[in-house]
Amino acid sequence: MSSALPLPRNTTRQADVALQGEIARMLHRFTGTVIVIFVLVHVIAQAVLHAPALAALKAQASWLPVVQSQHWVHAVLYFSIVFHTLYGFKLLLTEIGFALDYRKALWSIVSVSSAFALRELLRYAGV
Amino acid sequence: MSEMQNVTVTAEIRRYDPGQDAAPRYERFQVTGPENMRVLDVVRSIYESQAPDLAYQFACRIGRCGTCAMRVNGRPVLACQERCKPEMRIEPLTPFPVLRDLVVDRSEIEGRLEQLALAPVRDAAHPGAPEPIGAELAAKLCRMDSCLLCMVCVSACPAVDQRAFDGPAFMLKLRHLAEHPADRGNRLGQALEHGMLECFNCDVCTQVCPADLSPAQAIRDFRKDLFLGGGRS
Repeated sequence: MSSALPLPRNTTRQADVALQGEIARMLHRFTGTVIVIFVLVHVIAQAVLHAPALAALKAQASWLPVVQSQHWVHAVLYFSIVFHTLYGFKLLLTEIGFALDYRKALWSIVSVSSAFALRELLRYAGV
Repeated sequence: MSEMQNVTVTAEIRRYDPGQDAAPRYERFQVTGPENMRVLDVVRSIYESQAPDLAYQFACRIGRCGTCAMRVNGRPVLACQERCKPEMRIEPLTPFPVLRDLVVDRSEIEGRLEQLALAPVRDAAHPGAPEPIGAELAAKLCRMDSCLLCMVCVSACPAVDQRAFDGPAFMLKLRHLAEHPADRGNRLGQALEHGMLECFNCDVCTQVCPADLSPAQAIRDFRKDLFLGGGRS
């Protein structure tokens, strides 16, 4: 049986729906940026906290523990790390021949990443 | 069976004649018609009753020729297939130069296609009779060859916008020949030359393709050949 599309084609509503590939691309970019910023801030914060030469700076950084204990910061960071890692794996796998549906892959990865973020939020909520 | 209702839609069309206008402008029109009107029906109605100087193009009206591709609310679509919206902003397909209103200049596209030499490059002369080919491969080639070259995927592709990448449609055409048993051309090399590695692998082209093809998969197949070997060099 031919796999040719039947005529007439179904009506499309392309302009009404979100481009899932674009969502995936932007999320991957956003989460990558979050990770880079985290690493930079983390390195600087550790230097301030532990290097004796920066003790004066440490005294001024009273806001640092407050930021570090923000649950939403942890949630965003966990989501970013999990999403970026899994989506990166997905890209690698598809490029070496694994057939993965882009929609299912995206929403599965979003679900897993959200679960990590939610776990962090719930932990702070005492659940 | 329910009766079809009429709806009134507002279409804002980008008007521009590079020979006469200093800058593009948008003109608003209202069209009343059946609720299942396509965008092309709206444009044709505007041309017939409100703006006889509106330039647009179409041919088959059944989603087979790709001629009526345009952007609706910023999204590239085939106008003959896309349902009309209550509010529409209709623009010519990007990133191609505009000839007038909704008509774009396809000479650059034709030039690129010519440059790609999209006919099998053979070791020996054609035998003069049909060459045997497996049914599965024939079906696959037939399917890949159903690309309309409407350029909807090229218009939607974020990599085309940001990087030196010809676009998904051209990669699909090259992949079609890379899979063709009679072709001996270095299609992987051509794909690399035309920016195959710049693709984000985001599958936007797969989602918008009016022929339900996956140019992204064609690119992934090329990349697999590149990374793991297996393609013709």
